[in-house]
Amino acid sequence: MNLTRGGWLILLTVIAAFLLTLARAPVGSPEWLGWLRPGWIVLVVFFWAMAVPHRIGLISTWIMGFFVDIVFADPLGLNGIVLTTITFFTWRFHERLRMYAVLQQAWVAAAMVLFSEGTRRLAHDQAQAWLPVTVLPAIASMFVWPAVYLLLGKLTQRFRVE
Amino acid sequence: MKALFLRRSGAGYLLLGLVAASLGLVYLDTNTRTLEPARDVLGSVVYPGQVAVESPYWFAAAAIEAVSSRASLLARLDELELQNLELTRVAMRLQALSTENDRMRELLGSRARLPTEVMIAELVGVVPNPDTLQVIIDKGTQDGVRIGQAVIDAEGLFGQVVETSRFSSWVLQIADVSHAVPVELMRNGLRSIAGGTGQIDLLLLENVPVTADIRQGDLLLTSGLGGRFPRGYPVGQVQSVLTERTRAFAQVSVKPSALLDRSSYLLVVLSAPVHE
Repeated sequence: MNLTRGGWLILLTVIAAFLLTLARAPVGSPEWLGWLRPGWIVLVVFFWAMAVPHRIGLISTWIMGFFVDIVFADPLGLNGIVLTTITFFTWRFHERLRMYAVLQQAWVAAAMVLFSEGTRRLAHDQAQAWLPVTVLPAIASMFVWPAVYLLLGKLTQRFRVE
Repeated sequence: MKALFLRRSGAGYLLLGLVAASLGLVYLDTNTRTLEPARDVLGSVVYPGQVAVESPYWFAAAAIEAVSSRASLLARLDELELQNLELTRVAMRLQALSTENDRMRELLGSRARLPTEVMIAELVGVVPNPDTLQVIIDKGTQDGVRIGQAVIDAEGLFGQVVETSRFSSWVLQIADVSHAVPVELMRNGLRSIAGGTGQIDLLLLENVPVTADIRQGDLLLTSGLGGRFPRGYPVGQVQSVLTERTRAFAQVSVKPSALLDRSSYLLVVLSAPVHE
């Protein structure tokens, strides 16, 4: 990974996304709060693949996937599939996605988080997996996307990531 | 523009290759233990992040401790001293009993039980995944933690170590849906298997015949069968027994003894690691 021309900012936001993913609600908070976690890592990858598609490669997101596997205690390689697929399709349509209004992008982001959560449910082969556990993170992601988009957009301009 | 297009046309093959490689890795990781060294290294890299994220809670606890009043601290001290006295009494009796037990066993010609060594570990994180009930503790391979060791808390059996890195380990809780533990009833020694349900406060006994002598309030201990958990640690208390004549098995729900969602200090049982 190249740290010049704003590469360090990309790395920093990815690390921040990991920390947000690891964070837990205080002990004693209701269970549904845990399900309302946005897919921070997916959102960040989605943003950079759309904003600067030539800076974020399939191999690097694949390697990132291994760390996500460790964080979620998933089988190694699972999140590599998810993240590379998301990166690839964002690349493919990045010109179109950039033209979308933020709220339209939010729907796409939600679909991507839904894809990642759904893959995880499939891999864990959960009999008791029920809908809210899969859908709530996607809905939460939809609501935080405008904030993520504005913040990362500002940072991109400020530090000239190109 | 054209260069970008050429670059992207190759990306589809790269994607296919990476997905295929990932599928291979997923298969390997779910069916064999060959990827454990890799998990070890990756886990060590993630550990500082886990500690960093958990630190606000430690600071909050320290701050509460700092501002809590002298009177409440003294009251707590009194309470703990009383508890300590009681526990010392129990421990003295236990020591006498275990010596006697060893002597009896010697007379009977069976070998004495090995003393179990434990190590105190602190909880440093919870796996943020609703599919699995796992926690992360601050002791790893460098402290002697191995995969398969039992973990208990002050109240009972907590779980087992399923993954280790240098400085931390992952503990699968007994209520996880993929977890099961061989148990016996304290009252009559009836053997069964307590399987997790994915709900933190519920275990289910598997394949208990409707005629079995099992009642609400019975205490379950680890039976030591299967060789993974040492014998005699409390697992849970029977909450309800549902027998229907139309079913082959009784539905026995058990409340885990361990405080699965509250304990922050755990004990890793450092018995000789059992082979698979």
